Amino acid sequence: MLATLVTAVTNGLRGEIVRVEIDVAPGLPICHIVGLPDAALSEARERVRGAIRNSGFQYPLSRITVNLAPADRRKRGSAYDLAIAVGILVASGQIRRGSGSWALLGELSLSGTVEPVAGVLPMVATLQRQGYRRVIVPDANVHEARLVTGVEVVGVVGLDDAARLVAGPRGRTAERATRRPAVELSGPRPAERGPVPRRTTPLAAEMEPVDLVDIRGQGHARWALEVALAGGHNILLIGPPGAGKTLLARSIPGLQPPLDDDEALEVTVIESIAGLLADGSLRRQRPFRAPHHTSSYAALVGGGPALLPGEVTLAHLGVLFLDELAEFDRPALDALRQPLEEGVVAIARATGHVRYPARFQLVAAMNPCRCGHYNDAQKKCRCRPGEPERYVRRVSGPLLDRIDIQVEMARVPTAQLLRGAKPESSTTVRERIAAARVTALARNGGRANAHLPATAIVEACRLEKAADNVLVELGAIHHLSARQTHRLMRVARSIADLRDHVDVSADDVLAAVQLRDQGTIFDQRAAA
Amino acid sequence: MDERTAWIALACVDGIGEEIFNKLLAVYGSAWTALAAANDGRLDAWMAMRRRIDGQPPINGPTLAHLRATAADPARPLADAAQRGLWIMTALDQDYPTRLRDLDPPPAIIIGRGHADALRGRRAVAVVGTRRPTPAGRLLTTRICHRLVECGAVVVSGLAVGIDGAAHAATIQASGSTVAVIGAGHDRPGPRAHTGLREEIVSSGGALISEYHPRTPAKIGTFPRRNRIIAALGDATLVVEAPIHSGARITATRALDLGRPLFVAPGRIGDWATAGSLAILRETAARPMVGLDELIEDLGYLAPDADRFEGGQPTRAALETLGKTEQAVARRLLDGPASLDSLVEITGLPPAVVSSAVTFLLMRGWIEPVGPTYVVTGVLAR
Repeated sequence: MLATLVTAVTNGLRGEIVRVEIDVAPGLPICHIVGLPDAALSEARERVRGAIRNSGFQYPLSRITVNLAPADRRKRGSAYDLAIAVGILVASGQIRRGSGSWALLGELSLSGTVEPVAGVLPMVATLQRQGYRRVIVPDANVHEARLVTGVEVVGVVGLDDAARLVAGPRGRTAERATRRPAVELSGPRPAERGPVPRRTTPLAAEMEPVDLVDIRGQGHARWALEVALAGGHNILLIGPPGAGKTLLARSIPGLQPPLDDDEALEVTVIESIAGLLADGSLRRQRPFRAPHHTSSYAALVGGGPALLPGEVTLAHLGVLFLDELAEFDRPALDALRQPLEEGVVAIARATGHVRYPARFQLVAAMNPCRCGHYNDAQKKCRCRPGEPERYVRRVSGPLLDRIDIQVEMARVPTAQLLRGAKPESSTTVRERIAAARVTALARNGGRANAHLPATAIVEACRLEKAADNVLVELGAIHHLSARQTHRLMRVARSIADLRDHVDVSADDVLAAVQLRDQGTIFDQRAAA
Repeated sequence: MDERTAWIALACVDGIGEEIFNKLLAVYGSAWTALAAANDGRLDAWMAMRRRIDGQPPINGPTLAHLRATAADPARPLADAAQRGLWIMTALDQDYPTRLRDLDPPPAIIIGRGHADALRGRRAVAVVGTRRPTPAGRLLTTRICHRLVECGAVVVSGLAVGIDGAAHAATIQASGSTVAVIGAGHDRPGPRAHTGLREEIVSSGGALISEYHPRTPAKIGTFPRRNRIIAALGDATLVVEAPIHSGARITATRALDLGRPLFVAPGRIGDWATAGSLAILRETAARPMVGLDELIEDLGYLAPDADRFEGGQPTRAALETLGKTEQAVARRLLDGPASLDSLVEITGLPPAVVSSAVTFLLMRGWIEPVGPTYVVTGVLAR
């Protein structure tokens, strides 16, 4: 007897429909899975057999052939288990399909429980678009699946539940169709455990958010960060150890406006695919990812055999914070150039190729040299002559070119730490940032100032007469290239937005100049 | 063979340093005789005598072999140098730089590239300092050299990276001429980072000189030794930044030995970069350099525009032309260097306002960046 069911897989951020055909025919008892399965999928037959037997059904002693169509596409993962098991039960006549059709997603354990899988959200969304109206998903994934409207989502705990649903109220189910409880030797039963994320969030989770009110001094750097967040500009903080670079970066999550509905869905889909969606709720908070500088190339840009998204994609619509920028591998850093420019990252590997969105804001921090005390009058730089120059040269020019704002920070004197005036709180600053962002997005047609294309800059960054004069004069003094001029105008635009200026004033342009390295770190050293 | 050729040949023998050279000269009366003696047995007799008295010969085996080879072909070193584009001056020459004659004994030979006249400049100042300067030290060096060039002085230094290099570069930038005294032979002319600078020194009317013959490698002692030449070539020596252990302190001592004035730019107490400078001021008769105008006055080089501005007047007048916030920032910077952060902290103005004021002052050329801080310059530094 032949049974056909529908399930889905993810490819990049999109889901794809996969048809599962199961034929149970007389012959020697054997199970074949065809349609280019990978190792995890080939092992499905063992999980399926265990799950069927332990759910009160009989594993048919016949020749079973499972075909996954389209047959020319590589299949990987364990989300097919449930569809295969239910298909075998239907094909062997143990349940009869009732009214309506179900798409099924889920991994099986030997005991017959249905385990959560990654990427349920985009898979359900695809099923909905393709016209499927009823989906069975693992109980742990039911929240994220319900983010998709227009489709009936039912969560199941075990294979027996799924079998009953497929059979329907009038369908025939085997009498003894109940799961046998497994003998639990290690702790509470799965149902009593909370949901467990499959991949823990690195660093970002451990980095406690900081309120700006607790950061003394660094007035200039605080303001630079405010401008960066208002305009979506990439920012580089340079300073000796202990200047407060990391502390300042940790205040970012508290300064960002929440995601809007479309953005939230996009971010949630990415987390779903990466298996990071523990509670299945819609993500409203902008991502803040802080990979360690020893992270591999694949961890940063994505890849691996499963072509999983990397940190650049997980930071999509949020912030990618790279602490100790100069300590990252050169190839990994240079791989950031494409996503910084285009907002997407293309990953091509032997197992296939995908494109993931990666429109993140880069926040980076680094020491001015290996020992950290270059240009420091109080502490002697322990680097040998020539070493500081080589250190900064690890960050390539093209990457620096894409970082609009670069600020140098010095250590805050102790007296100021203890007696300084109480600074603004994150709430005050967040409101200013949010207002400036709204202004900018409305004017630029939904684009942040940092993403203004060269053609739109003149229109978006209208200059007052005096500002125009200042810019011309600056160009003459510093021999600004077109790219540098545009960068200056974008930053000045963000400053103007924060100050509620309709047109960019001369003051805004003058202030923008101070948000670029004055040449002491990257240029002057080359001449020395 | 004339005496000058013999003199150069003798000074160019591998292994013969200043001491042996002068001993041979004392024994034989002239370089010509000394070379002749090398091949006719008189030298062996002298060596045997010295060995009996001192317990060891005055000249070791390899050096003796070199000496004999040179004696056989005494015109060779001069021809070699000419072929490399180098000139040689000797203490015998009429036009040997008079400043070098103050050394006892003066270097037997000076081998150089570029313009020998730069060594005989009417005014010359030695500017030296550490190989690891702070941005402030680099900037001060540049300003001093620009001012010295205005006064028509040649700047003498040692071609090392750091203050030395900044001094040479600033002098060239101001269209002055500069003399670099290198610490090895011309075949090993200093740090690779200064390859371009060397060519600029030569093409801008300056000179690269060495007292060592071209094949001399850089060894322990060759650099400190040449410091006496740097000190001798200047009417005065100026130490910009010297940490506790610095070659600049040797140059300073040599200048005092020669009776030349020594100036030291003082640093803040506790700064590592100028700890050695302060030590010189404490331990010697050096004078502190308290300002550019004062330095020029103390050197006796009255600059053409020295009395055009009267203390403080232009600064006050300039401040009056500024807006309120610019004035607040400028006044703070008149007290000393400050970073953007400390300007924000002290003026109490919003960072954006401070930033635009700073850019405005930068564009006027009244302040400039030094590392992470800004300092006053131009009319505000008068």
